[in-house]
Parts: sequence; structure tokens; C-alpha cells
Amino acid sequence: MGRGVAAWLLAPAHGLVLAAIAIPALYVVWLSFTRSSFGQAPVFIGLSNYFDVLGDPYFRRALWNTLILVVVVVHVELVAGLGMALLFASGLRARALLLAAVLAPYAVSQVAAVVMWRFLFDPDIGPLTLALQSVGLPGLDWSVSPSAGLAIVALLSIWMNLPFTFIILYAARLSVPGELYEAARVDGTTRLQSFWHISFPLLRPAMLVAMLFRYIFAFRLFAEVWLMTQGGPARSTEVVGVYLYLEAFRYNAFGAAAATGWIMVVVCLLLASVYLWRLRRGMVADAVA
Amino acid sequence: MRLRKTSSYAMRAGKLLAVAVILAWSLLPIGAIVMASLKPAKDIFAMPQHLLFHPTFVHYIALWQKWPGFFHGLVNSFVVTVGATLLAVAASALAGFAYSRRRTPAMASTAGFLIAVRLIPPIVVTLPLFPIVNTLHLEDTRLVLILLYASFFVSMGALLMRSFIDQIPRELDEAALVDGAGYLTILRRVIMPLAAPGMVSVAIFVMVYAWNEYIFAFIFTSIHAKTAPLALAEMVSAFDGVDWGVLFAAATVQMLPVLLVVMLMQKKLVAGLTAGAVKG
Repeated sequence: MGRGVAAWLLAPAHGLVLAAIAIPALYVVWLSFTRSSFGQAPVFIGLSNYFDVLGDPYFRRALWNTLILVVVVVHVELVAGLGMALLFASGLRARALLLAAVLAPYAVSQVAAVVMWRFLFDPDIGPLTLALQSVGLPGLDWSVSPSAGLAIVALLSIWMNLPFTFIILYAARLSVPGELYEAARVDGTTRLQSFWHISFPLLRPAMLVAMLFRYIFAFRLFAEVWLMTQGGPARSTEVVGVYLYLEAFRYNAFGAAAATGWIMVVVCLLLASVYLWRLRRGMVADAVA
Repeated sequence: MRLRKTSSYAMRAGKLLAVAVILAWSLLPIGAIVMASLKPAKDIFAMPQHLLFHPTFVHYIALWQKWPGFFHGLVNSFVVTVGATLLAVAASALAGFAYSRRRTPAMASTAGFLIAVRLIPPIVVTLPLFPIVNTLHLEDTRLVLILLYASFFVSMGALLMRSFIDQIPRELDEAALVDGAGYLTILRRVIMPLAAPGMVSVAIFVMVYAWNEYIFAFIFTSIHAKTAPLALAEMVSAFDGVDWGVLFAAATVQMLPVLLVVMLMQKKLVAGLTAGAVKG
């Protein structure tokens, strides 16, 4: 295929991505160095937006909340997803049907999911709240308690994204040759041993890939929090996405919002880079071995 | 021998329990609101919950009568989803064809660019797009959502299409070239029919995303182009716990079409998810 033909074929996809994402993202860099609000000409002010944002206690709170949520959500998903992948691979009846059920939350919109979890955990009349109370446990009153608010957001996120983590790990588990397990069984290994010595090492690259994806995507969290708590009570459950939205569209501080956006990208890459680095090292090790 | 038998019974019981927990976790929240939407208002919060009841459609009728905006939102969602899906699948197929058939460092770097761009959170690009969209008078139109949704999926779509087109032997397009066919003809007559399963995979992903998306719809639409998730979100804040039945009916209507697509097409989805995640 000639260069000219390839260029024409790539043009629509790159046109869309450049116009809607890449060029606007670069413009955000410029915006982050200026003071501007909607309808005003931006004035260059250097790094002061970054200092303002990093010094803002509301931002720090939002960043902290985001980090807690991301770390909890991603790791719970990973452990649960791994367990489910091993369970599904161990041979289940009606597997296709079960798979369809497990994938169902992937199809549910964030808004509909919020409706569900708000209903189940409604502080006064939610079925799960009542069930918890009947055994003497407190419910999750997100309108009063920040930690309850974050907990319900975490539950919601895990519920919506577990299918993704699970599928990646399940596919990886299916690609492990069955002979390995048979050979191990012949040698008289226990189930736990074959997990530690076969499944775990062979699934590690897929686990890292799943975590990398989920770190990057979990960091964008917005709708779940916005629709569940609006960042309240008293801005205590805000996440970085919500902070950015409020700065831009409520307080008209586009410069500060732009700086927040880039801090978001950088922190998320830093978190992910640990895994990226380990993944790379693992691949090099595999290539050598 | 006896010991082994009991332990395998225990194993089977454990598995059964695990499957029950997984099913409850995945389906209970969905089932809860679908069932509640079919119950008379006084029974929705009855404790203990009744699992057997005479379904009533009063909430759906009330939704139809009192919330015409919600159905307008459904129409918008439908148009936006179809538009974004067609655009994204077409652009992805063209790019995937090029990536599959031309392997040069320059091509690899443009693919790297497409992946890198996906790291940018959607909410970040709303900042500069907001004034631009207003200047172009695209605010509150379905077109702006179609363009945005397609843009955010062509990266994954192009790489997915490449891995599907890679499985079509090059000899087929070479033979067609010898016969004097142009690349567009080859794409239409040779590649597209054989890569149709890949296009279906890409289409499902875009559909799920475009039908359910919230942030862009929230920021770029207000009245005319408001989508169903947005209309539903407005009902959530408007009710504040008053008329749950109607809210559940709306959530069920918003959820059901794509839920059915995903559950029926799970094989395609799994193939796509794994190909996209592991290779892309």
C-alpha cells in the first residue's frame, strides 16, 4: 500500500482525534498559564494557576479522595476479577449464561447505576439500609457522612467496572495451556500450588494491563460522584473531576481548571507508570528467559 | 478415598455459593429497580420485599404523561448513538485497513499517537471546546455529541479493526489489485465483508458508550439535544425521593435496549474487549 493511500485512509480518524482531543488538549496547556474566564481574553500569568490549585485545600481534599477511591476500587476489582476468572475457567455449568449476567453492569449507564444504588442504600427506606439495620449494622448515609459517600461511590464504581477487569483476566487465563495444569496434577501439586506457580505468574502481565487501564480510567471519575453526592456534604466528597468542573463552569476560573486538568493527567500517568515500568521489565525478563 | 470425595463435595458447594454471590452482585441492583418499576407505589419500599406481585404499568404511563422530555431525550440518544456508531465504525475501518496493510515506523508512530491521546480525560478537553462549540453555534446540537463520541472511540476502534483485518490474507487484496481494482473497491468488496465481525464489535462498544455517556451531554447540551441519561439525571435531582416509581420506570427504559444488546452479543464483546485491551 502506497503512502498516499494510507494517508487518505488515516485522515478521517486523525482528523476527528486532532480536532476534538489533541488540539484542544494543547490549548489547555496554554490556558493553564493564563488567567481567563468565559468571554474574556486570557492574560499570561505563568505558573500561578498551578500554585493556586495545589495550595487550595479543596483541591487537596479532592485529590486525596480520588487517590483513595482509585486505589481501593482498582485493587478490589483486581482481586475479585482474578477470583472470578479462575472460577469461570475451572468449569461451570451454563457458562455463557453466567457470562452474560456478569457483563450486564457494563451496559448500564452511570446515571441508571446511581439510581439503583441510591435506591438500595436510601438512608430512610432503602432495602439494603433496612436489611443492614435489622442485623444491627449502620447504613451508608451519604448525605451526612463523607466516608459513607465515598464508600457508596466506590461500591458503584466497582460494580460498573468489574466486568472489564474480569474479562481481561478471564481471557488471559483461558490462554494458559491446559497441559501445564495437567502436568502439575500428575506431579501431585495442590490447587494452591498450581495457582502460585502457574496461574499467578502467567496472569501477571494481564493483571498489570488491567490495572493500568483501570488506573487511567478510574482517575476520570466524575458522573458517579456528581450524581451521587454533588461533592457534598460541604465539598467533602469532591474528586478531581468534580473540582475541575466546578472551577470551570461554576466559578468561571478556566485557567485554574486547565491547570487542574494537567495535574490530573500527570498524577494519573505517575500512578500508571509504576505498572508500565513493571510491565516493561516483566516483558524484558520474559524475552530473556 | 472417602476424604477426597467429601472435599470435592465441599468444593462444589463452595463454587455454587461463589456463583450465587456473583449473580446476586451483578443482577440484584438491576433487578431491584426493574421490579420496583412494576410495583404499585405503596409496595416499592415494603419490607420484606415481595418477590411475587401483579405487575402494574402505572409508573410507565405516568412517565409518558408527565415527562415528555424524557422521551425526547430517548429520541436524541437514538439519533446520536446511530450517528456516532456509523462515523466511528467507518473511520476505524479505514484506518484499521491502512494499519494492517502498511507497516512502517511512521504508521506505528501515528498509532502510538492515537493511543496516547486516549490518556487525556474527556473532562479536560471540555474546557477549550466549550467556547469553540459556542462560536461555531454547535451548542445544544446532536452533531457535537456525534463528533465527540466518535472521536473518543476511533483510537480503540482503529486498533481493533487492524487486529481483525490482519487475519484476512493479503493475497486476497493483491489478487484484486492485479485485476485492476482500486483500494476503495478492495475495502468494500474484499475487506469489509470479511471484517464484518470486527465492525460489529467496534459498533457495540461505541453504542454502549454513546447511549450511556454523561459528561459531554451534560456540558454541551441543554434543551434540544438533551440525551436520555441527562433527562434521567434531571429526574433524579427533581424528585429527591418523592416519586420513585416513575424514576425507576425511566431508568429501566433507558437501560434496557443496550443491556439486551450486550447480553445477546456477549461473545462479540468479549472478543473485542480482549483484543483491544491486550493488543491496544
